[in-house]
Amino acid sequence: MSTWNYVIYPVLLGYLVIVVYPMAWLLYTSLKTDREIFLAPFTLPDWADLQWINFSRAWTVGQFGDYFLNSAMLTVLTVILSLLFAAMAAYALSRFRFFGARPLFFFFLAGLMVPLQLAIVPLFFQMKDLMLLNSRLGLLLVYIAFGMPFAIFILAGFFKSLPSGLHESALMDGAGELRAFWHIMLPLAKPALVTVGIFAFLGTWNEFFMAFMFLSGENAESLRTLPLGLANITIVSQYRSDWGMAFAGLVLMMLPTMAVYALLQRQVTKGITVGALKG
Amino acid sequence: MADVVLKNVDKRFDKNTVVRNVNLEIRDREFVVLVGPSGCGKSTTLRMIAGLEEVTSGEIHIDGKRVNDVPPKDRDIAMVFQNYALYPHMTVYENMAFGLKLRKYPRAEIEARVNETAGILGIGHLLARKPKALSGGERQRVAVGRAIVRKPKVFLFDEPLSNLDAKLRVQMRTEISKLHNSLEATIVYVTHDQVEAMTMGDRIAVMKDGEVQQVAAPLELYEKPANRFVAGFIGSPGMNFLEGRVVFDNGHAAFDEGSLRLPIPDGMRKALAPWRDREVTFGIRPEDITSVDANKDWQEARQIRATVEVVEPTGSETFLYMTTGRYPFIARVDAFVDPAINTELPLLVNMARAHFFSREDEAAIV
Repeated sequence: MSTWNYVIYPVLLGYLVIVVYPMAWLLYTSLKTDREIFLAPFTLPDWADLQWINFSRAWTVGQFGDYFLNSAMLTVLTVILSLLFAAMAAYALSRFRFFGARPLFFFFLAGLMVPLQLAIVPLFFQMKDLMLLNSRLGLLLVYIAFGMPFAIFILAGFFKSLPSGLHESALMDGAGELRAFWHIMLPLAKPALVTVGIFAFLGTWNEFFMAFMFLSGENAESLRTLPLGLANITIVSQYRSDWGMAFAGLVLMMLPTMAVYALLQRQVTKGITVGALKG
Repeated sequence: MADVVLKNVDKRFDKNTVVRNVNLEIRDREFVVLVGPSGCGKSTTLRMIAGLEEVTSGEIHIDGKRVNDVPPKDRDIAMVFQNYALYPHMTVYENMAFGLKLRKYPRAEIEARVNETAGILGIGHLLARKPKALSGGERQRVAVGRAIVRKPKVFLFDEPLSNLDAKLRVQMRTEISKLHNSLEATIVYVTHDQVEAMTMGDRIAVMKDGEVQQVAAPLELYEKPANRFVAGFIGSPGMNFLEGRVVFDNGHAAFDEGSLRLPIPDGMRKALAPWRDREVTFGIRPEDITSVDANKDWQEARQIRATVEVVEPTGSETFLYMTTGRYPFIARVDAFVDPAINTELPLLVNMARAHFFSREDEAAIV
């Protein structure tokens, strides 16, 4: 172990604590009673009397069950559909030469530079005219559209980097463009798809602003997503304190995110084209 | 199997013409090699046959059918790429079966064909592996296997051996030749390596700057190069060239370099008569220059003296890098000849095997 390690390890350890401690705190606080939370916010919970009931109350009383399903449905559809559309668009934009390909690509990229807050007012009225307010479909469409620029940016760069020999090889093997895309190029883009998918997942799962804007109608309570529900609970908690339940809700919301990180992080870093070309 | 015909084929990228007026008739079951230095248009020509590049003008026919507008998948052609282009996410088996699956062969037949082909190429034990777990030579075999498993009309090889080490390259060379014999396949093979071209091809098309210079059988190409480029490109080390004039006196013809005068054999005199007192290039292959004590039965030998600069023994023979007059040249002499550097050495030049090229268009005169 070099001297450098004696310096870097304590620094990294400190960073680890900063990142992990709040999550650990959140986890064990969700198992405490409100009284415990206020009297001793930083102590560990009473191991003999863990408040698992916070979770079941959050799921039912706090309506997190409904919010969870709404969020899950929206997120899954957003990830799948935006990956599919972005992959097709990125593939065409990066590997085919046709009139307008470059302007179109930059048009998509421009979407990365428009702040959501600028677009929200006109978008709101457009959604209203299209009768897409307070509807899951409306929010889904907005999510997909806002996900496209980043997804196309990443995927186009990746498709460009794939060796053209593989595509040509597929054509020689008897594949048309569609099959070459579906059987060869798309599977090869897996690392990029996973990366984009993770970002789309996180972005959608945690998204508050647009959901708040487009699902704020009186009759849209049943459509609320987790971030909206969580906000609702905190607002309610100001009058009728139920922090145990709020923390349990937070943990519920956090779990899928952590699962995705744990399961897929390796995929992102793993290069799949190794071995395709000359050593 | 099928023949491939290229008629007046041109390829332009924007304003750059990379292939110019190529005419080539590749007969059924023939092994034709396209050879030339990099950038000569040989790969582009191959890719046009494959359908990966569009033909700017001219026509390509495969098996009697015009294929200019036929997409690659419908041309029934297989291609082995320089970098193999194996699908990295598929096993060797899946790589080989992919083309058959697309053509909707029944599963049992796919399995039988893949196994048979794997057996021929000795890659049966690799079928479950992914390409990244293979060595360069094994990837090469899989790439060939993927091409032959489909039994297409025509095989295209795009510099398939250039990523292998020297020994493996020689081994694969003979294997591909054997494969050609057993498959009775039409093969178009692109390489920049003239040794590969000479050893493998039934006929060789030498290309330069997008144009075909000469199409001929290997030995014909070697013995009767159509121009100075072909003469210099084919053969290793290359042909020696000296610039000079054709002179006639007392009814005898000679090549006059200034400091050196070589008699032209009577057999060539007629062809060179119109070139009297004009500038020509004289070409002679290294093996047609030898040491005076070599026991060669050369009728038209002429002795010259030259200075030794480098001695390159290879074991079976020795190459001498020499200069005479203004020109460097290489002689291929017997292995026992071992002259000291910078000494002057008498050498025999076999004038019966001399070549002469026009200085204007570099075409062969004789």
